[in-house]
Amino acid sequence: MGMMAGLATPDLDVVDETDLRAQPPSSWQTVVWNDPVNLMSYVRHVFRTYFGFDTATAERLMLAVHHDGHAVVARGPREVMEAHTHAMHDFGLWATVRKEPA
Amino acid sequence: MSEQIVVLEISGLEALHLAGIVGQFRDVIADSRRDDDPAVARLLPDAYPDDDDATREFRRLTGDDLLGRRADDAAIVLRTLGMDGGDLDADDDPDATISVALGETEALAWMRTLSAVRLVLATRLGIQSEDDHQPDDPRFGIYDWIGYRLDGLVTALDRR
Repeated sequence: MGMMAGLATPDLDVVDETDLRAQPPSSWQTVVWNDPVNLMSYVRHVFRTYFGFDTATAERLMLAVHHDGHAVVARGPREVMEAHTHAMHDFGLWATVRKEPA
Repeated sequence: MSEQIVVLEISGLEALHLAGIVGQFRDVIADSRRDDDPAVARLLPDAYPDDDDATREFRRLTGDDLLGRRADDAAIVLRTLGMDGGDLDADDDPDATISVALGETEALAWMRTLSAVRLVLATRLGIQSEDDHQPDDPRFGIYDWIGYRLDGLVTALDRR
């Protein structure tokens, strides 16, 4: 019993470290940028069908691209964000990968 | 043949023009292995604007796939238009309406091709903002017409 109590403190440290290590894999983003060519209806359609967003979410992100110049459409591990970026390029959208800003 | 999900109604003349433009687009893609064409560059955007090495590596891994897809898509559009080989029959009435029935794969190929053709046209026309538009230039008419067709297709697909 005493030993188990003694182990409790290091265990907490391990949990803390695990939390810190869990940060990097999800610290990348796929960003879609505004361009003067792609139609709003098309961008909304791509967001909805590729990412599986509901219509309202796809609309909100499309409008963010249009009005703010860009929108973060996905967050996660770098390889996954690159796969999404590749898919956006396949649809002709101007997408980039970046680290989540600190 | 996948299930038909959308039918496009276009005139014979329009189909002929469209096939001509998509055929030129296919040639631009085919020539891109030799040339440094800014219109093709727009189809392969920089994935890492602040990191040339990462951008180059990303393009090395995805570029051939993206250009190959553009060529495959264009071939599907020409095939479904019935114009992947010879000319349109001279006896056909150019004003008669042609129905182009598309399955899911074909509709996607059409959508991506119309979008990519617009990107290439926009680069050729120097369109850099939504206000860059010259109504007197017939090339802008083609650009708008492709956009009209793309919007109609997207609307039809969204309605399903």
